[in-house]
Amino acid sequence: MIVLAHGVGSRTDLPIPIGFALYGAGAAILVSFAVLVLFWRTPRLGGSGSGRPLPGGVQRLLDGAPFRRGLQAAALAVAALVVAVALWGPADTDRNLAPWVLYVTFWAGLVPLSLLVGPVARLANPLRLLHRGLRGLVPRAPGVARLPALGLWPAAASLLVFVWLELVYPGRAEPVTVAVFLIGYAVVQVGLALWFGEDWFAQGDGFEAYSTLIARLSPWGRRDDGRLVLRNPLANAIATPPSPGLAPLVVVLLGSTAFDGLSRTVFWQTGPGAANDTLSGTLGLLAMVAIVAVLYALGTRLSGRMAGQDPAVQPARYAATVIPIALGYTVAHYFSLLALDGQTTWILISNPFGIDGVDLFGTYGNRVDLTAVSSDAIALVQVGAIIVGHVIGVTLAHERALLSARRARASDQLPLVVVMVLFTLGGLGLLFGF
Amino acid sequence: MSFRPARLRAALIGLALATVVTGCAGTDPEAAPGSSSSGSASSSASSAASSAPATSATPAAPAGQRIEVTVTGGQASGDTGRVPVPVGEHVVLVVTSDAPDELHVHGYDLGADLVPGTPATIEFDATIPGVFEVELHDAGTQLLSLQVG
Repeated sequence: MIVLAHGVGSRTDLPIPIGFALYGAGAAILVSFAVLVLFWRTPRLGGSGSGRPLPGGVQRLLDGAPFRRGLQAAALAVAALVVAVALWGPADTDRNLAPWVLYVTFWAGLVPLSLLVGPVARLANPLRLLHRGLRGLVPRAPGVARLPALGLWPAAASLLVFVWLELVYPGRAEPVTVAVFLIGYAVVQVGLALWFGEDWFAQGDGFEAYSTLIARLSPWGRRDDGRLVLRNPLANAIATPPSPGLAPLVVVLLGSTAFDGLSRTVFWQTGPGAANDTLSGTLGLLAMVAIVAVLYALGTRLSGRMAGQDPAVQPARYAATVIPIALGYTVAHYFSLLALDGQTTWILISNPFGIDGVDLFGTYGNRVDLTAVSSDAIALVQVGAIIVGHVIGVTLAHERALLSARRARASDQLPLVVVMVLFTLGGLGLLFGF
Repeated sequence: MSFRPARLRAALIGLALATVVTGCAGTDPEAAPGSSSSGSASSSASSAASSAPATSATPAAPAGQRIEVTVTGGQASGDTGRVPVPVGEHVVLVVTSDAPDELHVHGYDLGADLVPGTPATIEFDATIPGVFEVELHDAGTQLLSLQVG
């Protein structure tokens, strides 16, 4: 049983061509300074009160209990099926649906889905339904008063646990591992929600927080007055509330994706990660998250100090501007997995329990077409995602600086922009594979 | 207050153990008869045209790229690490192991049984670009990564 980067998969991407890496790096640096020097000098994006409201009927449907409970019940049924397949389906990862659903279809698929239709994992979170059924056991959530202070820290921790499972734990691709993780995750999350109240899920369920974070770059938002609105995704992102723990959440995402890239390089496989064991993987993952955290904290605090603002509030204030960069990394690293190995889910769904002769949708005999997307197209998507993420990130940071001080000097933003350039050059370097 | 988390943790561990145990009991009998390679081999006929893999041991006259690996005491030597291969190249992979195992080329999904001391050969045209691992299925040892492109 092989374990590759990101949970499961039969292939990894080729290193991007050197020309792509160089053009990408050049474009990133050029755009960064152009934004600082040439772009607008007063805030341009709408704030948290902006947006074109959806019709009242649509909002009543989307916000209504029947719609949400229905989605949650459907998600719960799918999750139960996946756990059952993980426990009683084929023992071989290549033939068992569960690892492919968790690591590819769900985890990688959550990104495009949230980007297109908004915070789906929040609307359809099956754990919310379970909690609703069980909360009679704990009539008054004892920890509800302490929840706001925790911010998004629990979500960051919960995501770190998942990415460790996905990228480090040697038995990650075993169906049994998937079952134990899903059941354990549900029990822990519902238990904590009973303690802290239902709002726990938005702050402590890593998947829900991840989906909500990505949805910040979707056109779907909620205005200050509670109306669902369509608005510029950039305005949506800039309106992200600077909760405590938002920066750690973004840093975990960026750092873990960077580690995913690092673990595929020849440098890592023949150097620090040559042992290919839990210890080297854990240290590598933590090191990448730490490097990203230190760079980010330095850049934001230094920018704040130069602008004469309290450095302590800066990391949270600018965290939303790093979401596009993290998203660019994510797309670059998971696009081919979803497009190519993601086909496995749709093949195995025809016969989840591996019973002879069963072929529900007529796809069970199909083979994954690993040439469905050419390697040039993959490289183009990878570099494109990193560069677009970078450009949006720098743009948002500029806007954020103008919002926090009307007379913000371009030079004050330099440290943060330099850090963003470093993230992007690092991302391109990892795709190039050293 | 300190009771609840402790009980929760104990229950969790119990649950995890229970699922591991039932998982093993449920899956072990199935593991024996049908391995993955036999399952996918039967279905490969339908789409063989796309990648045209050839597992036969008949050595082609124009050699293509020959990759040789020897496994001794769990350690691989020879053409290990990242091995670049141009797209479309004919690849002859020869592996000799001192222990019985199953050779597996990922992505191309090709396999061969390894008999101690006897070289096993997998031949195929490298038509799918990407980086693919070649490993020992039972031991989990990675022999090399084939970089096609």
